[in-house]
Amino acid sequence: MNKLKLLPGAPNEIIMERTFDAPRRLVLKAMTTPELIKRWLGGVRATVVIAELDLRVGGRYRNVFRLPNGHEFTFSGVYREIADDRLVHTERFDDHPAESVVTITFTETAGKTTVHMVIAFESQEVRDMVFGTGMADGAGESYDKLDEVLAGM
Amino acid sequence: MTPDRLDATFSALADRTRRAILARLAKGEASVMDLAEPFAMSQPAISKHLKVLERAGLITRGRDAQRRPCRLKAAPLRDANEWIERYRQFWEASFDALDDVLEELNKTERRKAKRTQENKP
Repeated sequence: MNKLKLLPGAPNEIIMERTFDAPRRLVLKAMTTPELIKRWLGGVRATVVIAELDLRVGGRYRNVFRLPNGHEFTFSGVYREIADDRLVHTERFDDHPAESVVTITFTETAGKTTVHMVIAFESQEVRDMVFGTGMADGAGESYDKLDEVLAGM
Repeated sequence: MTPDRLDATFSALADRTRRAILARLAKGEASVMDLAEPFAMSQPAISKHLKVLERAGLITRGRDAQRRPCRLKAAPLRDANEWIERYRQFWEASFDALDDVLEELNKTERRKAKRTQENKP
């Protein structure tokens, strides 16, 4: 079973890696096609209600999520680099002022693709503030409530 | 955290000098004088920034009337680690669902390839 790994990085970064049993071309297709994004992004907890993207350098994307309790949150940004093996875009959680730069590299080996994701903030302080205060107040609270609901099932 | 407090936190973070002050305080406590020097700013100007940071709950200031050393507040940082874990869980759930989508795309491709093969004379 392929597992998501959290890798050590610079203090302002978060690095994740995951391998998929599919060629790079298909992974890239699933990650950049709105109808397909709606089927996997957010997993079983969050539903993607809007997936919009303009896949070109300088083009925008916007993913709006809805949780079972009705709470909605948005990740949006601009594409900076688009290649067969690399995707770079900015990311903003709702309308918070702190923006991160997400660099995704796709490495194919024997039909499997390893996705390496680096989420870089301006500094560790900004990273921790976004995670510590921003998300905690929005999606976080909703996830807490969801955790309670799931625990009671 | 109340929405007002959250607004205060984010407007405090919107300023480059204040973020630099926080970065300096992450290394240890400092007085207004300690902070004024590297930023080439007057002490009253630094004090103004510190008031904004204090109101936002990002720093605390000591009681010592002379120095009033500034410290980074640890609570938001502890919460941050918890939040990185939640972010990881978000992606883990997403990528597990992506496995299913990719399996289907793989099957569709293989079917197409087979059909192309069969249609060859």
